[in-house]
Amino acid sequence: MVMKNPKLARVAQGARLELVPLQVVVPVVSTIIALGIGLVIIAATGASVVEAIEAFWDGMAGSDFNIGASINRAISLALVGLGFIFASRANLTNVGGEGQIAMGGMFATAAALHGAGGLPLGLAFIVPLAVGTLAGAVWGGLAGVLKAARGTNEVISTLLLSFIALPLVYWSVESFHLLRKPISDVSSLPESAEIPDSTKLPLLFPDNGSPLHIGLLIAAIAVVVVWLVLRHSSLGLRLRAVGLNAMASRRAGMRTSFYVILAMTVSGGLGGLGGAIMILGQQFYLTSDFSSGYGFDGLVVGLLSRGSAVGVVIGALLFGFLRSGSINMEISAQVPSAVVLICQGLIVIIIAGSAILTNRKVTR
Amino acid sequence: MAVLELSGLTKRFGAFTALDDISLQIERGEVHCLLGENGAGKSTLCNLVFGVHRPDAGTMTLGGEPFHPRGPAEALQRGVVMVHQHFSLVPNMSVAENLMLGRASAVLKPQDIIVRMEQLAAEYGLEIDPEARIEDLSVGERQRVEIIKCLLGDPQLLVLDEPTAVLQPDEIDALLAICRQVALRGKSVILVTHKLGEISRVADRTTVLRQGRIIETVAMEGADIRSLVRSMVGRDVQSAGSVLAAAVDIEGKTPVKPSGDAGPASPGEAVLEISDLVYRDPHGVPRLDGLSLTVGTGEIVGIAGVEGNGQTELGLILAGLAAPSAGAIVVGGTSVGGCSPQEITDAGVGIVPEDRHAVACIKELSVAENLFLGAIGKFSRFGLLDKSARRKAAEAMMRDFDVRASSPDVSMASLSGGNQQKAVLARELSLDPLVFLLAAQPTRGLDVGAIEAVYNRIRAARDDGLGVLLISSELEELMAVSDRIAVIYRGKLVGELAAGSFSREAIGAMMSGHAHV
Repeated sequence: MVMKNPKLARVAQGARLELVPLQVVVPVVSTIIALGIGLVIIAATGASVVEAIEAFWDGMAGSDFNIGASINRAISLALVGLGFIFASRANLTNVGGEGQIAMGGMFATAAALHGAGGLPLGLAFIVPLAVGTLAGAVWGGLAGVLKAARGTNEVISTLLLSFIALPLVYWSVESFHLLRKPISDVSSLPESAEIPDSTKLPLLFPDNGSPLHIGLLIAAIAVVVVWLVLRHSSLGLRLRAVGLNAMASRRAGMRTSFYVILAMTVSGGLGGLGGAIMILGQQFYLTSDFSSGYGFDGLVVGLLSRGSAVGVVIGALLFGFLRSGSINMEISAQVPSAVVLICQGLIVIIIAGSAILTNRKVTR
Repeated sequence: MAVLELSGLTKRFGAFTALDDISLQIERGEVHCLLGENGAGKSTLCNLVFGVHRPDAGTMTLGGEPFHPRGPAEALQRGVVMVHQHFSLVPNMSVAENLMLGRASAVLKPQDIIVRMEQLAAEYGLEIDPEARIEDLSVGERQRVEIIKCLLGDPQLLVLDEPTAVLQPDEIDALLAICRQVALRGKSVILVTHKLGEISRVADRTTVLRQGRIIETVAMEGADIRSLVRSMVGRDVQSAGSVLAAAVDIEGKTPVKPSGDAGPASPGEAVLEISDLVYRDPHGVPRLDGLSLTVGTGEIVGIAGVEGNGQTELGLILAGLAAPSAGAIVVGGTSVGGCSPQEITDAGVGIVPEDRHAVACIKELSVAENLFLGAIGKFSRFGLLDKSARRKAAEAMMRDFDVRASSPDVSMASLSGGNQQKAVLARELSLDPLVFLLAAQPTRGLDVGAIEAVYNRIRAARDDGLGVLLISSELEELMAVSDRIAVIYRGKLVGELAAGSFSREAIGAMMSGHAHV
């Protein structure tokens, strides 16, 4: 790793001294570059750029409803992103957010449809949330157990567990004895029945038509708790120690397997909670593809945040709004929403590339 | 005539200047030693010559032609070869197969290699069985294979990076003889070392590096070893006391204990009793083969041996990082064989592990975090860390143990090796209860001042009544510090010498398995 350009070397030097500004500057600049490229692509498709931008803006924040929907999207992304940074504190890479969302959503639906609906005192939605969290935790914890017991790489196991979880959801909505609703007419899709109203998450502003629900509060609490645990708790330090050097941690008396499993369990649980909130807060019934890439977007949010809970919030909001905008852009301006996916990909590549600049280590 | 000429060579890593304006000529047919403490820039210089790094400024010429290798491949092509401290051999292949690697064209010709090996054996005395598998060879023999690999292509310049660190005394002699042979045949040798004894035996000229600069280059004929030491450490030899002599291995000077040392305390009851310890590695190879040993209170027992004879495994088992296959370990009446590291710590065992970076500390964490790595819960209320209390405790500990860092919050990686080791000692010696300390290779890679501090700590621990087991591959170190030396060979103790009867020759013979006492 030889620094060829002395000017670059000085920039990197400065970066080490003032880490915070560069950590903010890099994502912002890369987002702007990526959106600029996106505009070029839109122009290249022959659509009107102005029309596309208008549709995009309208979809993101054109009305109270759209803002609420964007933030609701951000909530699940933020929870998956928090899960990602929790695991990565222990140097574990949980790329199975999609599967954990799927498990969380599926079990939350099951709980809401079978029994939770009649519970009093808000338990009607709290119980399905808890069940969904638990399901995600088991799915993530499984990867932790495999890692601790057999040394299985968690990137592979969480990814493959996702490939198991998604067909499980498909199976559950295809099978009448599982979650599929009875066929009432020929156009009945393979999906679950709608969950009872009592199990839907209460809205924060029921009067102005915004779909924003209390998932926002849950996510806010999760952000604070994850921040506290990772930055200021003895657990966070232990996770970090185990992740950095398992041998030294073991010598210092830590049960490294326990912390590996714990980190993956909590990480998966946050993903499961995200999935449960998607069903209980917005979608209200389970479809085979309800997770629709939120797990992977959440993973990207976690990556971009570079381990910071605040970064997760910013990234989740960015991606939540981008997603809303892209959906509307496709509907109103006939611009493929894939353009936004391309932009998201570019953002990731640019930020990951610039990490070389900010993370450059002194080697002798 | 100069084979290699360096002028104005500078290499920086970030803000750190590893080499500063180095100008040096390596003559044809000379053995040129690079002498310096750790971090002086010796390895960086080698890596520049071998093309691993590229200089930020300055020029190199090789045989009169400009020489700016863009990588080791280009250096090799130009006739510069290097033996690294870590060998690059495939363990489960034969010597001849290893030699063919990297120079194999489409058709392998094992016969050619064997013929060439016979030539080299005749020329340099580099004899080795071409059919032997690498994993069956000793460290010294493996190094010989590396050297043969280098000489196959008839190079101009051979670079050896601290080649003697892993060898036993008679192997060192053989290696130095080979260096002379290579030089006699008109090739040049750069030999990196921090042992003065070797330099006076082999070098034509020596260049002393300190903090990235050349302090002096001297012809060895009639050179004053003491003045070289002074150049190397940058202060007077006397100030470092006898420890220095041990550290740099000055020929013929057996170190004496410094005055003021109370001498060995009379050992009391046993704190560590190991009986018939057996350890088989995952392949079923016995690494420890019925080892029995007792360490009493107030006693430093040294374990001497060539590396790879079971010392590492003994250290891991005592630390709780490997489970013995058979045998018993008792510390202060508690059986700890096969117990977890936490249980071993609770029994009063402090461990200074052999591998500082892999086991002793986490270099990315701060000094304070490392000082209390085993006691994270001590500074935690309702699960949240009380960082200011921890910082205060860390500051006190750093003061007591002279750990020099600008603050307890800087990363462990930013400390010098000596200060890292002092921090590890601080942590382990602050354990409560504490009855026994294992110090495995405690001064490896440290500079002279830090070595002295480590010895003093170990002696002080002994004087406080601790039993200390010192595992070291440095004979001089063991003789300077131990009250009793046991020699390990192939997983067994083969002999023991009491204080006052230490003899380099006797220990050396036992280390190579030639004699029993």
